[in-house]
Amino acid sequence: MNWLSGLLIGLREIREHKFRSFLTMLGVILGVASLLAMFALTAGIATGWRNTMQQLGGLERVGVNDKQVSLEFADLAALSPGRTLADAEALRGLPHLVSHVAPEMQTPATLSAPDGQTVSARVVGTWPDNLAVSQHEVAAGRFLTDLDLERGARVVVLGDAKVAQLWPDEYGTDADFLGRTITINDRPFSVVGVLALYQREEDRRRREAAAKGGPAPARFAMGGRRGGSGRRNMFSWKNESVIVPLSTLYHEFRSGQPETPPLVMAKLDNLNFRVRDLQRFDETLTAVQNLLRGTRRGIDDYDFDTREDWFERMETSLRSTQLSGGLIAGISLLVGGIGIANIMLASIAQRVRELGVRLAVGARRRDVFLQILAESTVIGMIGGFLGLGAGVVLLDLLGRVAPLESPPVIEPSAILISVGFATAVGVLSGLYPAWRASRLDPIAALRYE
Amino acid sequence: MKKTPESSAAVDLRDVHKIYGTGPDPVAALDGVSLRIDPGEFVAITGTSGSGKSTLMHLVGCLDTPTSGRVSVAGEDISTAGSDRLARLRNRSIGFVFQAFNLLPRLDVQGNIELPLVYAGIPRRERRQRALDAAAKVNLTDRLTHRPSQLSGGQCQRVAVARALVNDPALILADEPTGNLDTTNGADVLRLLAELHRSGRTIVLVTHDPAVAARAARVVEMRDGRIVKDTAT
Repeated sequence: MNWLSGLLIGLREIREHKFRSFLTMLGVILGVASLLAMFALTAGIATGWRNTMQQLGGLERVGVNDKQVSLEFADLAALSPGRTLADAEALRGLPHLVSHVAPEMQTPATLSAPDGQTVSARVVGTWPDNLAVSQHEVAAGRFLTDLDLERGARVVVLGDAKVAQLWPDEYGTDADFLGRTITINDRPFSVVGVLALYQREEDRRRREAAAKGGPAPARFAMGGRRGGSGRRNMFSWKNESVIVPLSTLYHEFRSGQPETPPLVMAKLDNLNFRVRDLQRFDETLTAVQNLLRGTRRGIDDYDFDTREDWFERMETSLRSTQLSGGLIAGISLLVGGIGIANIMLASIAQRVRELGVRLAVGARRRDVFLQILAESTVIGMIGGFLGLGAGVVLLDLLGRVAPLESPPVIEPSAILISVGFATAVGVLSGLYPAWRASRLDPIAALRYE
Repeated sequence: MKKTPESSAAVDLRDVHKIYGTGPDPVAALDGVSLRIDPGEFVAITGTSGSGKSTLMHLVGCLDTPTSGRVSVAGEDISTAGSDRLARLRNRSIGFVFQAFNLLPRLDVQGNIELPLVYAGIPRRERRQRALDAAAKVNLTDRLTHRPSQLSGGQCQRVAVARALVNDPALILADEPTGNLDTTNGADVLRLLAELHRSGRTIVLVTHDPAVAARAARVVEMRDGRIVKDTAT
């Protein structure tokens, strides 16, 4: 008598009483289904958030913002040059901590394509590092280069939505936008790159569904959802990008006006950098702080904008979702376990005589114990596997009824944990019945009617 | 186990008492019973209900231990044995045949015959072979895949006899084996037991029926927890 024959006996019992066994398993099935669904939903949300976060620059992206100087230093505030290119140059001196630096200057401008439309936009002048700091993805052509910066080249990289606005008739076709010339405030710029379209998962799927439904009336939706320009969302700033070299922006649109400071002292509109190693996040911020203390002449007029708070909030809300989902699943599993224990007790009462015979022909108490335990374990395990199936169906139904922002992700660990819990419930709920069965007196059991 | 004279006996009881209940009014089911059964004997134990013959059978069958006195079965003293040792003895040394057959309804004939071998840890293939041999001895080779519910009472009892023999025990213990059978089938089972006796097995037959007891070579009669008659026929 070993575990295997115990399992076989358990399987036979279940086969003999299919319906009863199914009812017994129902609690476990529901428990596992909700456990799996909860895991998959939260994993989906987490994946969605992580992707979004990544596309927005990730945890590594840190912004240097202006801050109101505290009152006691107010009269000294003017001493600080503020956020300038000098800060950015200084940040480059920390290559072991700061991997990329992206200063930005912005100017409102009118964009016009000779072969297309005229639109207004906010033009960003920046460094090539902006690609890494903002996690842009180039769909066609290239991003800015150091050479562009050095030469003050009149080149521009456009976001997807801007392409759609400039050339609505050609957008979405095979048309090549690279090498075309547009004017920014009447100065000609050559398009060298187009950025990828960023969209929320929900939008992406809606778009895909529309594409599947044949030639969608997307053409008419121009300026609407297409190009991601109509619906403002967290990706709009990326899709609406009009990016030129910082030096070009300064020389073309800023200098020459009276009282313009030299480029290095010109005020920046944004300064973002990328932390090289998240493990050394705090160390990096401290180093940057020391650095800025120099460029700002000791005036504490800046602040760091990090994604950590956001990330923490996200984790907290995920955890609470998991907790409430887990609680529901736990209660189902508990009820399922009680159900198994109850049925096992009833089944033992029905089989006293059988157990007596087994004892008479030489079953030891532990053999009987194992037999009952194996049976409840098998019920739990089968319930677990059926629960997996039910969970998948549940997720599918959920997806149909209420389209999810992020599609659920079933991770292997979730499957293991769910089935593991079900098995554990089977084992635990079999312990008491198995103990009861193993305590039977063979003589009384043989006489039992 | 030390080899004393009693250890060569199939069953050896020395001044055995079995008392049920511990209160002010205990019942002595066995009151100083001594009994020796040699290997190869065919012994019937008779007596009316309440005579102590069931208690005696439980002790001989290693289902219970005595309150005092010594009980040896197949050379092993079980007077103070624990439940695991009793189980092993039941498995190796004793084959039970019950009045109510006590077959497992959800196992087929072969599965029922094999049952003691499962607990003896015999591998599947050997179990199958030995079950076939035992089935042949009771003439049931053509019913191996039937379930007990598909068999007649006489056939069921033959399955039970096959189950009792399959592990080649020192002792076959039949408790009212004909009680649930009609005369023809009862005679059949008794003939089977007699055959087994002739082939050298030790048989202990517990019955209240003098006619059944008469089939044995030796009849032990119990009354009020004592042996009142022990006759060879």
